Amino acid sequence: MSNLEKYNKLFQDCFSVKEEELAGLVYQGVDTWDSVGHMSFISQLEEVFDIEMETDDIIDFESYEVGREILKKYHIDL
Amino acid sequence: MEGFSLDFLELQKYEQIRYPLLMIDHVEEVIPGQSAHGYKNFTNNEWFFPIHFPGEPNVPGALLQESLAQMLTIAITTLPDLAGKTTRFISFSMTCKKEVLPGDRLDIETEVLSWKRGICKGIGKGYVRETLVCESEMFITIPEVLEQYSPKPKSKEK
Repeated sequence: MSNLEKYNKLFQDCFSVKEEELAGLVYQGVDTWDSVGHMSFISQLEEVFDIEMETDDIIDFESYEVGREILKKYHIDL
Repeated sequence: MEGFSLDFLELQKYEQIRYPLLMIDHVEEVIPGQSAHGYKNFTNNEWFFPIHFPGEPNVPGALLQESLAQMLTIAITTLPDLAGKTTRFISFSMTCKKEVLPGDRLDIETEVLSWKRGICKGIGKGYVRETLVCESEMFITIPEVLEQYSPKPKSKEK
């Protein structure tokens, strides 16, 4: 499974969305992506990619697209 | 961190729930961020015994769960700067093994498995006369801490 597939699957599993809904998905754009869902997602993201994210990056992780950019800082190419 | 005990008045600095839903009486030892154990005495005068159930009184499972959660909460709110913060349940998975009856003392043991960014995962076990009567795995949060790590939803306005 590629990094992008892992990333997409995590979004789909955590927020109960379909793959075609990922583009443009933002924090609080769906009911499941609330503050609790966000923290659960970040924890699983760290586990899947074996990284530890900085606080500023967790706060800035406000959309599917922004998340992809943030992961580049951790040498995760999607 | 070193452990310490909290009596009925002291523990209310760290747990904001009050009568009739305060479900812990004494914290025998709390090690902040790690564990807390203590007890709750369920006397015959408890408010719920006459209604749960008439002629067959026992402690509601929801209140046993509350006892475990409140003790776990103490293990977190005794960390620096968290005294007096309110907590919320995220989820729990509980098993009740035996009824708790009027006159029983529920001994409560809780352990923090993780505390990260406002979310605590922990386990709690309740005993009566050294017999396990209930256990639960819980996720609780301190919303005020959690919000510090949450994005500001400005993208929604685009």
